[in-house]
Amino acid sequence: MIPEIGYFSLVLAMGLSLLLCIFPLWGAYTGNLRLMRAAPSLAVGQCLFVLFSFAILIYVTLTDDFTVAYVAHHSSTTLPWYYKVTSTWGGHEGAILLWLVMQSSWTALVALMSNSLPWVLRARVLGVLGFLGVGFMLYTLWMSSPFERLLPYYPVEGRDLNPLLQDPGMIIHPPLLYMGYVGLSVSFAFAIAALLTGKLDNTWAKWSRPWTMVAWGFLTLGITIGSWWAYAELGWGGWWFWDPVENASLMPWLVATALLHSLAVTEKRGVFKSWTVLLAITAFSLCLLGTFIVRSGIIVSVHAFATDPDRGLYILSFLGVVVGGSLALYAMRVSEVYSEGRYKFASREVTLWANNIFLVVATLIVLLGTLLPMIHKELGLGTISIGVPFFNQMFSILVVPFALLLGIAPMMRWKQNQLPPMVKKWGGMLVLALALTALWLLPNYEYVAPMTFIAIALAVWITLGTLLDIFDKASAQDSFANGLKRLGLSYWAMVLGHIGIAFVIASVTLTSAYSVERSVSMKPGDVAQLNEYSYRFDGVKEIRGPNYSGHAGVVTVLKDDKFIVELYAEKRLYDIGMQFMTEAAIDDGFFRDLYLALGEQLSEGAWSLRIYHKPYVRWMWLGGILISLAGFMVVADKRYRRRKIKGAVA
Amino acid sequence: MNKKLLGFIPFLIFIFLCVFLYQGLFGNPRELQTGRIGQTMPSFVLPDLMDESKQWRDTDLKGDVYLLNVWGTWCPTCIAELGYLTELRERGVRIIGLYYEQAYDPDFGDQFDINALRNEVQNMLDRAGNPYQFNILDLDRTLALDLGVSGAPETFLVDANGTILLHHTGDINPRVWRAKFAPVMQELSE
Repeated sequence: MIPEIGYFSLVLAMGLSLLLCIFPLWGAYTGNLRLMRAAPSLAVGQCLFVLFSFAILIYVTLTDDFTVAYVAHHSSTTLPWYYKVTSTWGGHEGAILLWLVMQSSWTALVALMSNSLPWVLRARVLGVLGFLGVGFMLYTLWMSSPFERLLPYYPVEGRDLNPLLQDPGMIIHPPLLYMGYVGLSVSFAFAIAALLTGKLDNTWAKWSRPWTMVAWGFLTLGITIGSWWAYAELGWGGWWFWDPVENASLMPWLVATALLHSLAVTEKRGVFKSWTVLLAITAFSLCLLGTFIVRSGIIVSVHAFATDPDRGLYILSFLGVVVGGSLALYAMRVSEVYSEGRYKFASREVTLWANNIFLVVATLIVLLGTLLPMIHKELGLGTISIGVPFFNQMFSILVVPFALLLGIAPMMRWKQNQLPPMVKKWGGMLVLALALTALWLLPNYEYVAPMTFIAIALAVWITLGTLLDIFDKASAQDSFANGLKRLGLSYWAMVLGHIGIAFVIASVTLTSAYSVERSVSMKPGDVAQLNEYSYRFDGVKEIRGPNYSGHAGVVTVLKDDKFIVELYAEKRLYDIGMQFMTEAAIDDGFFRDLYLALGEQLSEGAWSLRIYHKPYVRWMWLGGILISLAGFMVVADKRYRRRKIKGAVA
Repeated sequence: MNKKLLGFIPFLIFIFLCVFLYQGLFGNPRELQTGRIGQTMPSFVLPDLMDESKQWRDTDLKGDVYLLNVWGTWCPTCIAELGYLTELRERGVRIIGLYYEQAYDPDFGDQFDINALRNEVQNMLDRAGNPYQFNILDLDRTLALDLGVSGAPETFLVDANGTILLHHTGDINPRVWRAKFAPVMQELSE
């Protein structure tokens, strides 16, 4: 009975969503204020029903109700309770329900926080969000209900959650990613509402900016955690695989990054208007496309989600309606847009324009690399595979001009700059960046490849440029301390974001260039040496967890005969699925990670072990966290709060 | 160009993309391996599973139609199809095994006990039936990789000139044989 209530609650939510889609849009079209005013309560209502439905799924999972197919396939009695909760988004149906939770919550949040928007715009934004809600709810109810029953023959024990997903990183990775995807639907809704209204002025840009920033912050964090999860859980120390599923989240991120820079130009200067709208549409379209790629099985991926052509067809149709519709609308409206602003070549406008070009090119590379194998096959040209080298090479070329620009971009002013004094400053910066890089790398590493040197110099260059700009801006005020205080949160967000990028570039470069690994066969007492660390194998002990058993290799790490850490590299056999899982042991550090994976038992007490030494790998996720902080910080900026208070009074 | 027309470019690109996505939906991405069909058998030199001193080359296999069956004792489906494959052998089909060892990872520096494996294989074939003329041991998986093998069991039908005619993923049973292999065999014998 209870699962049926969950399903029914979702039906009600869809009903409200349908009204949310029709009433305000119709009201805005006919100028009927009463219809428009219904939007916020409908938005909150549909959200409550979706939340209730999700609560019921959690309840049936916690109570081990294996008559529900989803629970039987993704949970088990022995699963710890927190993984039971997370198993509600470990499978396809539940993941889509989680998406719905996010979608409806964002919609309700927009409804509650937009009371200073003009009604016509507010109604249209909520109407568009309502339409998206209907699309996803219909999909859930029709094709992927998590409340489907296995009656009358149901199992007494569930199939358990995929062991790969039994990890803290995986608990938060999908929700964060969905927060990002769905958050971008808000930017999308603002863009569509602006197109419908026909007023592509900077109002919509101003409004959608904080939402876009937060969505982008979540997306950044989601990707970062995903990378960390892959590193910690897959057992061979990789952190990015250019897998279609990863690319599906990277593409919206790249476009969203372009979007939030472009939004700044549109808000402040009233130019790039149509381009910004197009980016907003593209960012969300890529989220949908990513979902399609992941869920339809159109591309073979190591992530191998449940695939089903019917589901794929639905998502593709939905994609066609949403994206095709908005691009058609864009095409019809865009010719009416005129830019008023004027700017010279050496200006912030042009710098941001170049930033957009780089990010869009990067997106196209990822899109091409992801879809080309499929298109190639459909054209009857046979199968090709585009692998990691393609992406790596493309990105290492693209990062050079991008990072050069990033280093000087914050110093550029709107409209026009005097180039000669700036060029002089940049020359000094360049010399300093090269000197610092040499000081950093040459004493520490025997061999420095030219590309490594260039990449690190670029990371230093970005950092120097950002710091120099803080110094310049702060000293322009009466006193340096006052000047620092005057810099707004948005400015500090930019600083964090850019330095985060520098961290990521440095980390990717150094980890790729200087990681070392060894595969060894060890008996208890054996010592293996890797770089300055020695690893003493102390033997293997049996372990027993709630739903797995296995072995843990105990390894003592020593440096110059001094004890550093004792590591337990586990090999687990999960009871129900009989799946082997490697739980790598990681000693994390700011400058290096020691990473240890237990392999097979060989003969007479010998085990195979893989030892990795990964310098600076942690900086990657540190950088990711810094970047996402930038997204969250902007929301707290006074500029956005003040307007809200003013709006509430008016 | 006219600004109005320019605005339609994103829309057109999207439509173009949708056509491919739609087609891709009904194509099977797991048929990647069919790329091997019509090509000749990749060249290789690999040892016999049971006798290390014996080396098999791709040229040794030519001259007669054969099935190349990728299998391993670790793979339950492979064991299950041994019975039917043996029946096929008795009916005169030439079957060559490509032994795929899962426990051994070439990138991993594992120790490997060939004698234990030989005993295991012999026991298994004694018990479940031996359809193989001989078995090739592809420890480093080079041939499996060249053939686009994604798992076991998989079976290739190769003609006397060494051209790959069929690639089947999954077990061979009477139904699969009748539907997929028998017509091609028929054609070859005519």
